[in-house]
Amino acid sequence: MALRIVPPASHPLTTQAELGAPSAPGVHDTLRANLSLTTPAPKAQGSHFELQSTHPLESRLAQWRTQQDALQMEMLRRQFGIAEPVKRGMELHIVRAGEWTPMCLGGGFGYGGGLHADILSGRDTEIGWEDVFVGHEMRDVPDFHTEMERRFGMNW
Amino acid sequence: MPGFDFSNHNRNLALHAQGVPLPKATSTGTTIVGCLFDGGVVIAADTRATSGPIVADKNCEKLHYIAPQIWCAGAGTAADTEFTTALISSNLELHALSTGRKPRVVTVMTMLKQHLFRYQGHIGAYLVVAGVDPTGSQLFTVHAHGSTDKLPYVTMGSGSLAAMSVFETQWKGELTREEAVKICSDAIQAGIWNDLGSGSNVDVCVITAEKTELLRNYITPNVREQKMRDYKFAKGTTAVLNEKIITKEEISKYVTVQDIGDGEAGVGEKMEVDT
Repeated sequence: MALRIVPPASHPLTTQAELGAPSAPGVHDTLRANLSLTTPAPKAQGSHFELQSTHPLESRLAQWRTQQDALQMEMLRRQFGIAEPVKRGMELHIVRAGEWTPMCLGGGFGYGGGLHADILSGRDTEIGWEDVFVGHEMRDVPDFHTEMERRFGMNW
Repeated sequence: MPGFDFSNHNRNLALHAQGVPLPKATSTGTTIVGCLFDGGVVIAADTRATSGPIVADKNCEKLHYIAPQIWCAGAGTAADTEFTTALISSNLELHALSTGRKPRVVTVMTMLKQHLFRYQGHIGAYLVVAGVDPTGSQLFTVHAHGSTDKLPYVTMGSGSLAAMSVFETQWKGELTREEAVKICSDAIQAGIWNDLGSGSNVDVCVITAEKTELLRNYITPNVREQKMRDYKFAKGTTAVLNEKIITKEEISKYVTVQDIGDGEAGVGEKMEVDT
């Protein structure tokens, strides 16, 4: 595994050779070709993020933290063996499963909240756009009591 | 998707392909400078914000607070400089609380360049970072793509060439505080007069080991003149034809008046106090 610092570019490095229209080999098939600007460009391999646009920055930002973590874990693996990243991964997983942040305080969508997970991943003294704009701006966040009632099955 | 929202990008591209012009962000065509002197550092900025050919704000503030002894002058997209410096200021405070030490200027510079590099220049913040920390007085510039410089005197923004000409001719080593403030304000004035994107007043911030002094509108060479004529009419120009005075006592004839007393606020306006 390579020691990449920044995520790879989202555009594909190779393209499929176009075989042309099935009825007329060698002729460009306009109806099947990716001509429209609104069609998302073909994604690079290994990117499992659901991107909203073809903007080059979006895939970079979406993969940024994953890439940094992968780099750190790879370096730990090289220095201490596989036990170290496995142990850290397990600790992080246990801590993530054990803590819960109410949605009105920014929890519930993977990002935000999670003080203990932040400490383990070395992000406890960091704040970024993802912590401020957690993606709740457009949706209706249930208040604390509604959320608790739902969690404990009290909404009869 | 947390953070930046790209959901309209494809739609905008399609609209642009059909001939709809893309919206423009307010960009501060700016002159910002910084200069080290014996025992501290000075940064200065003009106060004009432009949006294309239009002056959007004649007295905007381009010197941003990061920490008590670290300040930042911003050129580029106005909103980006504002929010990037605010975010880095928060990060720096968290970092200082975690380490229990006074924040350093190199820390700010590194945070800024790492942050800006991640966004590949899409955050258009061109910054001059200056401050005094336990390692001495420091001066850096940070470009929007994440490259940085460390120099004894720096200029940035559209008026940087005019300002740099002043530094290149007048700067010498071992300046005093007064000389540094003078050379910085001269450099900004060179930008104000010779660059169309810069104008209005000169803001100066002097940082020494003891204290920080923000001299807002240090020089105001573009004070608005009083107009020679105006359209205000003298009192009594329009004749009063009819006058009727309703006193407070007889106002209840017209509306229902409820006296709520002097000391107590209205029922709806009472402040909620936790006990």
